[in-house]
Amino acid sequence: MISEKPPYLGFGLGLRPQHYQEILDGSPAIDWFEIISENYMIEGGQPLYMLDRICERYPTVMHGVSLSIASTAPLDMEYLGALKRLAQRVRPKWISDHLCWTGVHGVNLHDLLPIPYTEEALDHVVARVRQVQDFLGRRLTLENVSSYVTFGQSEMTEWEFVSEVARRADCWLLFDVNNVYVSAFNHGFLTNDFLHGVPRDRVVQFHVAGHSHEESHLIDTHDHPVCDQVWDFYRETVGHFGPVSTMIERDDNIPPLAELVGELDHARSIARAVLGANRLEAAE
Amino acid sequence: MKSLREIQESFQRGILAGDDAILTEVKDSAKDRRKALFGVYRNAYVARLADILGEDYEQLHAYLGDRAFAKLVKAYIAANPSDQRSARWFGRHLPAFVRNGETYANHREVAEIAELEKALTDAFDGPDADPLRIEALAALAPEAWPNLVFVPHPTAIRLTFATNAADIWSALKGEAAPPKARHLPAPQATLVWRQDFMSRFRPLSAEEAMMWDEAAKGVRFGVLCEMVATFAGEDEAELRAASYVKGWFDMGMLAGCRTA
Repeated sequence: MISEKPPYLGFGLGLRPQHYQEILDGSPAIDWFEIISENYMIEGGQPLYMLDRICERYPTVMHGVSLSIASTAPLDMEYLGALKRLAQRVRPKWISDHLCWTGVHGVNLHDLLPIPYTEEALDHVVARVRQVQDFLGRRLTLENVSSYVTFGQSEMTEWEFVSEVARRADCWLLFDVNNVYVSAFNHGFLTNDFLHGVPRDRVVQFHVAGHSHEESHLIDTHDHPVCDQVWDFYRETVGHFGPVSTMIERDDNIPPLAELVGELDHARSIARAVLGANRLEAAE
Repeated sequence: MKSLREIQESFQRGILAGDDAILTEVKDSAKDRRKALFGVYRNAYVARLADILGEDYEQLHAYLGDRAFAKLVKAYIAANPSDQRSARWFGRHLPAFVRNGETYANHREVAEIAELEKALTDAFDGPDADPLRIEALAALAPEAWPNLVFVPHPTAIRLTFATNAADIWSALKGEAAPPKARHLPAPQATLVWRQDFMSRFRPLSAEEAMMWDEAAKGVRFGVLCEMVATFAGEDEAELRAASYVKGWFDMGMLAGCRTA
């Protein structure tokens, strides 16, 4: 079952309906797209038609928001079946979701909820990741989430927990640069501790996004341009990990495609400055 | 120490029911109290679902105005914890919630606007099928026509309105002032379906609605013609039936036909 490490794809964007036509008409310089899996678990119509056309032209990865891998509710086999069917259609380079839970007792809270970092939670999540990987016939990629509370019973740091899940379950990691920044601010840890705390060979993708600043905390809203501090941390992240497929994630206040392509170019220029053009091209 | 299951149950109750028991499990940060921090999750749940309902029921929102729509949405969210993996389906019970609630009992158009918007959303991403083109029947011998059975496009949804909800929806969609709500002298049959990736709807006369409903059940064209004759007179009944069918072809309302 274990496949090779997914390929380096370069610099991608989240596929959003507002941009379908412009992408198909203009073939913009975007290396790859990430789709929200749940948005295409539908029967037909324009979204699936556009998805098929875009998958013909661009490498694509699938990113879910409701796998609920850390939930104590039973795995939702109906959902996993739909995920697998969608993967047969899209042929994604990898499938990702979040290291979180979204509800119990049949409820979905449509949020990426945190868990205590305990041995109990670790055993639980690792067993579930293995089950899902067996079902999908491929490794899963898990993303660190932004969080606003920490639990009194946590026995380890978030990065220790994330790393152990990756090692024990033998899965990949999606390193969300913004989420590390947000959680570090909210919980008072150093972004570099997280950065240096996760295994390099497990990270296959970066997310870069914007957030909102409340008085005492940051909220991971994905509705703003990427801020300078997150770009600074991205610079360090690229320097540490080397060439990793990078994506700008915008879910709300979706701007014109050109604006996101501009942010993507900024990410590209940072990676080029840090790693050198030769190393980036070699990765491609 | 509470188990992971207990923590998650308590966390969920904290969000859905405002239960503060979870606060004994989470910590204050250096900058804020745990109650305020947990409040981020409480607020996000309602705000996210309210946004989704606002997108799904845009014209209902416009019709009711911000304050009344927010009140409706808040009540709906409280009464209907999401049980769907995709938020796409969260608002599917809203028309029934409005229809069965007391708030708009004397404003039937509110539930009907919601029904129309839900049907348009459902048609938008409903199952694919190539529309049947009338040319497909060109080679058919005239004597085969009575045995034809038509297959509606899989996105077709039949609605019946007691009010002018469809006119109100159309005016709001066009950003015009909506007409005053009124009950219609007779129920208005309406068909929603998807053509060329766009959700559409159109009113059906009582006769056409009767014929469409029977055709959708698999009744043969010959029998449909007899029904039309019974419905509104034998005079040119076959011609009337044929013109309805032509309209169905022209508007992509059919996905297939077969000979019974």
